[in-house]
Amino acid sequence: MDPMMEMFVFESNQNLEQLEQILIQSEKNGSFSTDEINDIFRIMHTLKGSAAMMVVNEVAALAHAMEDIFFYLRENKPEHVDCSSLVDMILDAADFIKKEIDKLDAGEKADGAAEELIALTKKTLANLKQANEGIGAAADESTSKKKILPGNIEPIAALRGKADVAVIDLDEPVNVFQALIIYQPDCEMENIRAYTVLNNLKNYIAEEHHYPADILEDETSIDVIRKQGFSLCFTTSKDYDEVLELLNQTIFLKDLKLVQLLDVTQWEHWKTEEKAALPADLVEKKDVQKVEASKTIKKAEPKENAHQSMISVNVGKLDILMDLVGELVIAEAMVTQNPDLHGLELENFNKAARQLKKISSELQDGVMAIRMVPLTGTFQKMNRIVRDMSQKLNKTVELHLVGEETEVDKNVIEHISDPLMHVIRNSIDHGIELPEDRQKVGKPAAGNIILEAKNAGSEVVINIVDDGKGFNREKILEKARANHLIHKNEADLTDREIYAFVFAPGFSTNEKVTEFSGRGVGMDVVMKNINAVGGNILANSEPGKGCSITFKIPLTLAIITGMNIRIGRARYTIPIASIRESFKPSPKDIIIDPDGNEMVMVRGKCHPVVRLHELYHIDTAVKEFTEGIMVMVKTEKMILGLFADELLGQQQIVVKPIPSFIKNISKTLGITGCTLLGDGSISLILDSVGIVNRII
Amino acid sequence: MKRILIVDDAAFVRVVLRKTLEKIGYEVVGEAEDGESALEKYKELRPDCVTLDIVMPVMDGMEILQELLVIDPQVKVIMISAMGNDHHIKEAMKNGAAHFVVKPVKEELLAEALLKTIGL
Repeated sequence: MDPMMEMFVFESNQNLEQLEQILIQSEKNGSFSTDEINDIFRIMHTLKGSAAMMVVNEVAALAHAMEDIFFYLRENKPEHVDCSSLVDMILDAADFIKKEIDKLDAGEKADGAAEELIALTKKTLANLKQANEGIGAAADESTSKKKILPGNIEPIAALRGKADVAVIDLDEPVNVFQALIIYQPDCEMENIRAYTVLNNLKNYIAEEHHYPADILEDETSIDVIRKQGFSLCFTTSKDYDEVLELLNQTIFLKDLKLVQLLDVTQWEHWKTEEKAALPADLVEKKDVQKVEASKTIKKAEPKENAHQSMISVNVGKLDILMDLVGELVIAEAMVTQNPDLHGLELENFNKAARQLKKISSELQDGVMAIRMVPLTGTFQKMNRIVRDMSQKLNKTVELHLVGEETEVDKNVIEHISDPLMHVIRNSIDHGIELPEDRQKVGKPAAGNIILEAKNAGSEVVINIVDDGKGFNREKILEKARANHLIHKNEADLTDREIYAFVFAPGFSTNEKVTEFSGRGVGMDVVMKNINAVGGNILANSEPGKGCSITFKIPLTLAIITGMNIRIGRARYTIPIASIRESFKPSPKDIIIDPDGNEMVMVRGKCHPVVRLHELYHIDTAVKEFTEGIMVMVKTEKMILGLFADELLGQQQIVVKPIPSFIKNISKTLGITGCTLLGDGSISLILDSVGIVNRII
Repeated sequence: MKRILIVDDAAFVRVVLRKTLEKIGYEVVGEAEDGESALEKYKELRPDCVTLDIVMPVMDGMEILQELLVIDPQVKVIMISAMGNDHHIKEAMKNGAAHFVVKPVKEELLAEALLKTIGL
């Protein structure tokens, strides 16, 4: 995509996000603060400007209409403002703009029509004005549309005696001129350009008339000027050549017709319509009107990044960097753990090797840090979801964000957004009760959802806690039974395991399918998304009190610590995070269950055994449990015993994805990637969850 | 080559303006995204001309214009505006801006504005 377009899309999306946040805040407060008005105005203005630059006209026009409303709010400070409905309208407009920008982002045309929205906006502004008219409208140049009769002395009198206006020496001959200014097409804002002409002339002229008369307030004047040109008539002590020179300095001038007259009454527009004197403000004494806009230079509170030195970097470049660093880690291992060095006493080499390792490690950390992005943006998007849903379902819900400055890898952010939305939607739809119902059980009418993020060692933990009515244990069990999801004795199932069923595919205890939920597609997709980034979900609940869902996501996606194992001649790696323990089983540890499945006993509990060589059809001599090694791995659902030949040792590994051509031709469930070992051989990375799914 | 300072809070707009200006034969010696930086850069670079966006955060285009005039009463400023900012543009022109150009910025018009303001 054209880099210009990329920038436009990026910046506009940022602006739209910021806009949303401000609007939701305003709505909560029930009114717009001065800062909020200024910020919204500025955002609309920026959107309008950029859209205009990219010729995305519908968006520009819509942003313009919005800007007008906020200009009115800013300048006139009306008292009767229906904040809530205004916010609704602006959010609708923002949604339209977002859609159009998404189209552009996808390489399509932004072909949406904003006509209706614009009309609605204009009407809203008109209503706003009407509702507030007569209540001290602020300084507004509109006022006087005085019909000036010929020979009006006013302007001259007004000019006379004003200290900083050049005094016209009326003893000198007074010349009368008529000028017709034709502007170049497309220079825009011809009415203001006309005004500028008057402004530039004001010190040299006494009496003045122009047509169209109302150039500042009447927008149709632009059309008139475009069609017929801007006509003026004035008296001055300058002579023809001097006037010609002055007027020729007009910018974007296409044509100028200057004629000297004997009398102002000879002006071509003399009898027609209204003729105005110099717009009132050009005549005022002190016309340096400090625009009130940002009178108090308050430091705008930036929500996210403060004004540090920032550059934006293409994520693709970061990915390349990450890959390289990964390769470096492997290469470093290949050097320092090279089989050639086996058994050699190399003190100096070892020292140097340690230094190399240290630096690679720091480099790795540094690159990771670059890719780390605070969760702030993602979290704040949830404000909108909560707002929309609570409105639609007639519930009052407050969202509390904690720890939004916690950072995660950029990749992770993309995978977290949808799951969060789902969980929160669920909370509001099923968890939080209607206000009356809440009050009946002594809860505050407004439901609470706490969205919290924090770092816990090498993981990021995200909690979504609500104070609704919690999971319905019985219903879940029922549904789980119906979907044949229960493989243990029901009595043995812990609450946690029961709640975990909610994440199974096709699961939903909802009788009806609503716009928001009930199709049973939500929660398992959430699980998939979180698994995709190597994370886990835990669900907990207290009936009547609420629900808590926890995402646990490993901090580093691509570089993890793994335990290498050998099966036959093949190498596999198991992420250390999922290993509970490993041991050489003795005969008494293994039992066969009634169905004929092999189980291993650990501390009085039975766990299924997976013979990896059978699962992956590997040739190996080690078939007896006592000759190999049992690695206990834990997943959400259960603990498994993986049986392999031998443990080879721990290592930092860089996870590379399985190439797609392999995925296509072979079942790879249970394998999440591959990596290069220190000796250059390839090891497949085992995914316990995947293995569990394969054997059930 | 005549030297220009671009002032606009949208990075995107700055990029487009820079390209256009360079194409029509001017040297962009600096870019500023807010008032403070605009004033600093003006003092440091003393360009021949400044292109200035009307609406900016913290320090408005108008204020920046006024501050620039304090630093240099002869400063040449071309306001860049989007449609509908009549009020601001009017004030800016009254207060000493040289010219204004409306977005989308057409090359020929910008060229003429610059020509009339500072020459080639």
